[in-house]
Amino acid sequence: MSATWRAHFSFNKYSQICARALRQSLKEGERVQAEKRGLTALRYQQWSNGQGGEQVYLNPPVDEAPKKSAAV
Amino acid sequence: MSALRLVSSVARRAPTLTLGRRGYAEVADKIKLSLVLPHQAIFTSTDVVQVNLSAATGDMGILANHVPSIEPLRPGVVEVIEASNASKKWFVSGGFATVHPNNKLTINVVEAAPLEDFSAEAVRANLAEAQKVIAGNGSEEDKTEARIEADVYEALQHALSSK
Repeated sequence: MSATWRAHFSFNKYSQICARALRQSLKEGERVQAEKRGLTALRYQQWSNGQGGEQVYLNPPVDEAPKKSAAV
Repeated sequence: MSALRLVSSVARRAPTLTLGRRGYAEVADKIKLSLVLPHQAIFTSTDVVQVNLSAATGDMGILANHVPSIEPLRPGVVEVIEASNASKKWFVSGGFATVHPNNKLTINVVEAAPLEDFSAEAVRANLAEAQKVIAGNGSEEDKTEARIEADVYEALQHALSSK
């Protein structure tokens, strides 16, 4: 079995495409929730002196419809 | 010379010590299942009877005491048969299933949802959209992306129709 996507995408990108396709196939209510978390793949914060800093989104959540290509 | 013989006999015996009991997978026993998404744990070390996976190399069922293995999953259905013989189905977007040597099965997937959460109309519309891109004259990368999506939608349609 040869995966034709290998020529263009990494496995991570491939799995993100599959996950996005799955989210887009959900019923209305579940889809809105799922697409929200689909965009916030990573959030980071800096700790100093035992205090957590501000949490920064790598992909800031957007209110409008998610772009077709959310994954990098 | 005798020391050498000792070393070689130890080396020969060592694998049998770590291998433990060998035998067939069993229906009577339970396997501990963890089905985990990045944002949710659906099962955490729960005793189940059987788990059916759609692995990249083909569909497979996992019972207790399965031989340790690592299986990449394609977009498809994961069916879990619990102790009461009740069966539940999730559609997963892909990931890995690992059978550990101590009768544990962990399934890590990017996204999953119960079959009843899917809308057949949305799947049909998305599939039509993806097929339009495949037939169109976009870049090779766009077409490949649409091909991946179409595979997911086709698997979904199949899963929903044989629910």
